[in-house]
Amino acid sequence: MKNYRKITSAIFVMALTLVSISAYSFCGFYVSQQSKPIFNKTSQVILVRDGNRNVITMSSDFKGDVKDFAMVVPVPVVLQKSDIKVVNRQMFDDFDAYSAPRLVEYYDPSPCNSIREEVMDKVQASMSYSKDEEIFDQDKKNAKYKVTVEAKYTVGEYDILILSAKESGGLKHWLTDNGYKIPEGAEEVLQPYIQSNMKFFVVKVNIEEQKANGTEILRPLQIAFNSPKFMLPIRLGMANGKGSQDLIVYTLTKNGRVETTNYRTVKMPTDREVPEFVQQYFGKFYVDLYKKNLAKEGSDNVFMEYGWDISGQMQVKCDPCAGNPPMLNGLFEAGVNWISPTSWGGYNGSVYFTRLHVTYNREDFPQDLVFQETPDRSNFQCRYIINHPAQQYGECPEWSNYRDRKKASRRKELKELSALTGWNTERYWEYPSKFMGYSAPLPPDEETGYITPKEGKTNITASPEIDQTTTGSIEEDISNSRINQTAFINTRTPEHKKPIDWGLGFGMIAIVTLASLARMQKKG
Amino acid sequence: MQIPPHIRLKWQSVVDLLNSDARHYQLLFLSTFFLTGMLSLHWNLLPYQALITFCTALSTQLILIKILKLPLSSLKSSVISSFSLCLLFRSETWWIIIIAAFLSIASKGIFRVKGKHFFNPVNFGICATILLTHQGWISPGQWGSAGYWWFLIGMLGFIVITSAHRMETAFAFLATYALLFGYRILVFQEWPADFFYHQFTNGALLLFTFFMITDPASTPSHKKARIVWAMAVGALAYYLQAYLWVTASPIWALFFLSPLTPAIDYFFKAEKFNWKQTSTSVATI
Repeated sequence: MKNYRKITSAIFVMALTLVSISAYSFCGFYVSQQSKPIFNKTSQVILVRDGNRNVITMSSDFKGDVKDFAMVVPVPVVLQKSDIKVVNRQMFDDFDAYSAPRLVEYYDPSPCNSIREEVMDKVQASMSYSKDEEIFDQDKKNAKYKVTVEAKYTVGEYDILILSAKESGGLKHWLTDNGYKIPEGAEEVLQPYIQSNMKFFVVKVNIEEQKANGTEILRPLQIAFNSPKFMLPIRLGMANGKGSQDLIVYTLTKNGRVETTNYRTVKMPTDREVPEFVQQYFGKFYVDLYKKNLAKEGSDNVFMEYGWDISGQMQVKCDPCAGNPPMLNGLFEAGVNWISPTSWGGYNGSVYFTRLHVTYNREDFPQDLVFQETPDRSNFQCRYIINHPAQQYGECPEWSNYRDRKKASRRKELKELSALTGWNTERYWEYPSKFMGYSAPLPPDEETGYITPKEGKTNITASPEIDQTTTGSIEEDISNSRINQTAFINTRTPEHKKPIDWGLGFGMIAIVTLASLARMQKKG
Repeated sequence: MQIPPHIRLKWQSVVDLLNSDARHYQLLFLSTFFLTGMLSLHWNLLPYQALITFCTALSTQLILIKILKLPLSSLKSSVISSFSLCLLFRSETWWIIIIAAFLSIASKGIFRVKGKHFFNPVNFGICATILLTHQGWISPGQWGSAGYWWFLIGMLGFIVITSAHRMETAFAFLATYALLFGYRILVFQEWPADFFYHQFTNGALLLFTFFMITDPASTPSHKKARIVWAMAVGALAYYLQAYLWVTASPIWALFFLSPLTPAIDYFFKAEKFNWKQTSTSVATI
């Protein structure tokens, strides 16, 4: 019983240490709005999920000849005409601006007086789109292909077919003969989709309708269906060895954060203090940070960039706000049908917003993305902080002290910058001591050691995200694109598996060795 | 080189300690997994989640020791349970963690037939908490696939070293589950092989197979009956995942089939497992 008492009191002491569990909160400050895209060749998808009801909205910023546009998406059921809608592109821009990584700005208070000036900041938000193309030819000898046209609709500027097929060969021929080209290597998944009883949602542009609409841009398509499968088919858009594609997934759910169940979902680094000049290159900063993180964590992961409880009753729907939080209309349009309007223009109902970023390729992503909704309602954002030095008005004894501290903290900021982005920070040697009028050199592309598409043309084959097919490839000159528009398409990070293996490996080997020695000793 | 006598003495005591109970190896493994998860995989555990889990589980176990007059060494089992809870269970609320840890240990005292509990404690704690509160979840994706082979080496090493007895349960489960999925994925749906491979390179599945379903204390005592029972768990897990899209289906399958244990024990008599009889039987979570 003596032992019993000892252990009981030990546990009691452990419990006491638990008393101080503190809550986290973001400080609030204003952020000005700016909707410049960070990633320019990224496809975007909005997923709304409630019970078995799924609403998927897919956006494309197709810029070629619209008669070359085409898209093939595997869907679990035959969609009715009322399940298919065209929606406003603005929704994606709004969601993107709202959830983009953000830079916040603080001003150090003057060490000579104790008045606190906590001021404001700046942000660069992001967005971008996908690409898809193909010629559509309506004539068919479907029986020969063992392809059934389950339904045929014209919705907005799109002609839509829902196909089901008996075998992949027929479907492949049907698609090729009708002008679609399946990316090389992607056809290996046609048969699995057919066998999984998936239907194919096939889209082309109806030129007359499009002219009648008078719209130049192709609007996003939205499909709604009931299925227990909470997933996003990405396999059809993947070509073998053709590099990576970038996809941003926004999810709107009732209960909480969405994560992938067949890949690791990793939160991006956040709340880091970075040098003042990052403000000038925030887009480039974040792109390089993302790539570095991809190499560090492993390219077979999914990254979480934002998560926020935007339920009707929540007062703070972002903090700081990089863009306006989604409004009633935006949520309705995305397919959130469980909220109800209030008299004051808001809404009642529980909604959680998640933003996931995935850079996928054939090798690292053998399976489609499968999601689950967790009950986690905690907020998360990618937030980077800059601290402006205090202005010096005259001398005071505290000043030199402040200067030293500031120098040290600025050196730390440079280290952080280097750790986050892989930039060589030697070029910023003046930064720690030069508080006023410091102009930072441009961050060069080569330093990160990653391939950037600066060399000229990027080949964009198969559209990102939801499996599309292409007729050949689009060549796009991006050399004139802004510095912060580094495309991800067709770039591969050089080191792509995480060195996690080593720590764990040593641990395992140590234990096994120790244990075997122990065993041998026992037997001996 | 001569090893100084005092070091040799210490080494001897470490060896004796390790050998005295298979659960000691178990603890080493689980703590390595836990550290890997925290340091390398950046799991987003609640602050103090581990501490809360340990406090609750150990306190509950102490109460059980008082009531059921168990040996003090049964605390080791609850330390193991605590580690497993930290590895498998996620929640954003601290009192949910307390409920899960409490239910895990308390289930050993509550669901008892003839002195034998029939739910795996951690399995019961996780499933009951999720069903009752809807506030917790299992995160099978959290392991990624990077460290998979090291986990596997660790597990196999463990089996070999401890010459574990109940491995037939693990293999019966895994074979059923993998064969059914293999047929569905590779033969019927014709996915490329790496689709199948990805499905099975999952830390949570390994942990379940080698440490949870092999639990000697709560699984049926009769060997052949136990193998059939483990195959049933595999088949149910397959059904839940393939047709109903249930996340972490093996854990749910075990939860639903555990109540069969007393019935199986009634019809197929065999001697109940006792930790004291052997130190070489596999320890479980």
